[in-house]
Amino acid sequence: MNNQALTPESTAETREIVLAARAAGSRLLPAGRRTWPGAGGWTRDGGTPVSTSQLDTVHHYEPADLILTAGAGIGLDRLARIVGPNRQWLPFDAPGSSAGTLGAAVASGTSGPLRTRYGATRDNVLGLEVVTGDGRTLRIGGRVVKNVAGYDLVRLFTGSRGSLGIITRVSVRLFPIPGADETLLFAGGPSEAVSMARTVCTSEVPVAAAELVEGEEVGADRAMVLAVRLLGGPREVEESRRRIRAALGTEPWRALHDGESRRFHTARIGWEEGASLVARLAALPDRLDAALAAARACATRANGGAQGSAAITADALQGLVRVRASLPDVDPPTGLAETLATARRDVEALGGSLTLSHAPPQVATRVGWTGSRRETAALTERIKALFDPDSVLAPRCP
Amino acid sequence: MIPGRLTKELARICGRDAVIIDRDRLLVYESDALTAYRHRPGAVVLPRTTEEVRRTVQAVVRHGLPIVPRGAGTGLSGGAVALNGAVVIGTARMNRILAIDAPNRRAVLQPGVINAELSAAAAGQGLYYAPDPSSQTACTIGGNVAENSGGPHCLKYGVTSRYVTGLTVVLPDGSVVKAGGQGREAPGYDLVGLFVGSEGCFGIATEIEVGLLPVPEGVRTLLGIFDRIEDAGRAVSEIISAGLLPAAMEIIDGPTIRAVEDSVFAAGYPTDAEAALVIEFDGLEAGLDDEAERATRFCLRAGAREVRGARDEEERVALWKGRKKAFGAMGRIAPDLLVQDATVPRTTLPAILKGISEIGKRYNLIVANVFHAGDGNLHPNILFDRRDLDELERVEHASKEIMQLCVDAGGTITGEHGVGLDKKHHMPLIYGPDELDTMWGIRRVFDPGAVMNPGKVLPEETEPSHANRGQDPARGELVGAPAPA
Ligand SMILES: Cc1cc2nc3c(=O)[nH]c(=O)nc-3n(C[C@H](O)[C@H](O)[C@H](O)COP(=O)(O)OP(=O)(O)OC[C@H]3O[C@@H](n4cnc5c(N)ncnc54)[C@H](O)[C@@H]3O)c2cc1C
Repeated sequence: MNNQALTPESTAETREIVLAARAAGSRLLPAGRRTWPGAGGWTRDGGTPVSTSQLDTVHHYEPADLILTAGAGIGLDRLARIVGPNRQWLPFDAPGSSAGTLGAAVASGTSGPLRTRYGATRDNVLGLEVVTGDGRTLRIGGRVVKNVAGYDLVRLFTGSRGSLGIITRVSVRLFPIPGADETLLFAGGPSEAVSMARTVCTSEVPVAAAELVEGEEVGADRAMVLAVRLLGGPREVEESRRRIRAALGTEPWRALHDGESRRFHTARIGWEEGASLVARLAALPDRLDAALAAARACATRANGGAQGSAAITADALQGLVRVRASLPDVDPPTGLAETLATARRDVEALGGSLTLSHAPPQVATRVGWTGSRRETAALTERIKALFDPDSVLAPRCP
Repeated sequence: MIPGRLTKELARICGRDAVIIDRDRLLVYESDALTAYRHRPGAVVLPRTTEEVRRTVQAVVRHGLPIVPRGAGTGLSGGAVALNGAVVIGTARMNRILAIDAPNRRAVLQPGVINAELSAAAAGQGLYYAPDPSSQTACTIGGNVAENSGGPHCLKYGVTSRYVTGLTVVLPDGSVVKAGGQGREAPGYDLVGLFVGSEGCFGIATEIEVGLLPVPEGVRTLLGIFDRIEDAGRAVSEIISAGLLPAAMEIIDGPTIRAVEDSVFAAGYPTDAEAALVIEFDGLEAGLDDEAERATRFCLRAGAREVRGARDEEERVALWKGRKKAFGAMGRIAPDLLVQDATVPRTTLPAILKGISEIGKRYNLIVANVFHAGDGNLHPNILFDRRDLDELERVEHASKEIMQLCVDAGGTITGEHGVGLDKKHHMPLIYGPDELDTMWGIRRVFDPGAVMNPGKVLPEETEPSHANRGQDPARGELVGAPAPA
């Protein structure tokens, strides 16, 4: 699996690689800088990685349009350095590493806690250039914020995880960096934290993100911490802070301002790094408590009943809970697969879902990366066949 | 006309009053709001449930006829027009809001629910549905989904696709597919995102789940009056690049202002102005005045003659009136209207506006602009009379030139109205053979038998197996004579 990666320097070269692989009947695994191999389980043995890391040119950036077009291999960190001096940013905060590439962020399609404020990753991808599994170069979407010309292939490719094509170029929408960035940390017991989160999420205050974090991780002596992020003009943020405090009837344990607030959230992007098990439990926001309970059971089991590395966190605005654990290399704790399967049943019964984004093979094969989605399987199959008829690229999404 | 056996079958499925075959009653289904394209459907069926839609689709397909889904018929690209005697499946009776789930800020509804009615129904719980096409008191959410519609406030809040979280769709083969669903992560292909904007070609949406937002606490509305439209365009660009994010920024040009002021919709805009720019900020009360002040300064610096502010809801409605009634007012100047919908990068607005006005002059046509300036989404409206064949030809040429101008500036041919019948022949301006070929392929993934809204979106001459297919008489030219009554 850790073959030497191919690193094409142009779209044309990428296409040649795909055509050659297709002719030879061999397999490719599209990748970015490979900061996070194995994410999502859509990799498999036997493919040659094709990394877009050399495709990192900025092709077009007119700050006043708040739109940037760059090669898929540009690092999100470098992109931030390019647009930052104009007080602009790309609010992609999906789990990963800031050294990850723009193309990989689009291909994985995951969104982070800022989704409610700024839209999901797919809402901010305006156009793509891709090399499909059958070796065609497609330019889809465009460089404007509103575009309904033809079917929305951009959305199809966003989140397709290298199964339909290799993304070589991306146009994204940027946003102005808000004048004030503040994070209020409220500490409390497990159920207290959930009820605070509910109060915040249903209040009229436009919070940018609301996350639950285990107290230990941020040095608090209570079990959980609710991190409420406020973004906007200074007066708006000040007023929001006042109202949040009033609604909760308590002072924050800590308040982080501007640089501090940003660093706190940047660090949270890397929360999953190094973990060998990551499970995502989604539920409607008002069933967050149930999803948290299911997640806690998984974390406890991952720790083998003892004190361990497993932790949970939740995006309260979206009702998404994540479990992270570093498992022993040899045998995963007994009963872990069963606990995960039970947790999946529990959240599915509430209309939610459980997906694994990292898991040891023994666990993944028993639990399955995702719940089954039989209804859409036929469509998914035909879509895969349209773009990658010979299965040159990553396996189709479930 | 459809075979009598099919009429009977449809009546059995949906009820006799749900099947329309009379010529007179079919008249209103001949076109959408782009009245230059007219074709009479074979029949119109108005089912009430997903199951009725499913059985209707099966019955029509069994008789070998094409199907056209239809909402309120306010579309501006000819999307809901029935070519080749197709059977229209209308969603007018599927107008129930199934749930408003306030704690989770979402709603589940049937596709025939009128856009504004959803917001009205959610208002009691302090919520609303953000995408607000100017036609929102008439258009359906199903139509919005099919067109991926935008609206003035999409500048800050984003378009329809951002708010559609789940769909139930009846596919042309009569199967029912559910995709997405809030609170559920759907790993894998974004079928919901792919369906949104598919213009009725992939299937019929019969149940739609959408996200709602809390009603903003405060609003500030400004009206900038300009002597030159380019200056208004520059003000827009400068406001955005300064980091302000208004909820809406709309421009109404001189010809439109005069049309409005001449009509029953008069809004009190100065008739000698060349542009009016409506700017709105919303959110928490705190901070709104600052933002409005900064925007006012940018307008004045860009050359605004004056900037008015609304102090209360009544004044706010008055400032918006000229914008909201623009289409209605234009109808008074000329019998026909061709609405264009290109989007360009915001910074090119001043140059593009100038270019459009030159094209209008060169073809001796009245071009009136009213548009979503903050998004760079233009609506040059060409006013004409379709009985004047010479004028009709000039309209076609001017229309194509305007589109080319926008595409050359890095833009696209349609920002929110869709391709439909009207713009399908312009698709090659922005996509090459491989992209078009892929779109045909995606269409076939959903509709292998080409029965759902055929003849829309993709130009038939680009169809991979074009040579083997029957002639399609509706090539999407403007209709040169009034439709027979
Ligand atoms: C005065 C005026 C102002 C407008 N302003 C705006 C604006 O600001 N922004 C904007 O985006 N648009 C605007 N429009 C265009 C139009 O209102 C939108 O495109 C709207 O979404 C169409 O909705 P409808 O219900 O009328 O759909 P229809 O016109 O009936 O149908 C439109 C398309 O949707 C398909 N369709 C309808 N229902 C379904 C369904 N349930 N499943 C699958 N396919 C379906 C049809 O086949 C057709 O292709 C405006 C139109 C007018 C007349």
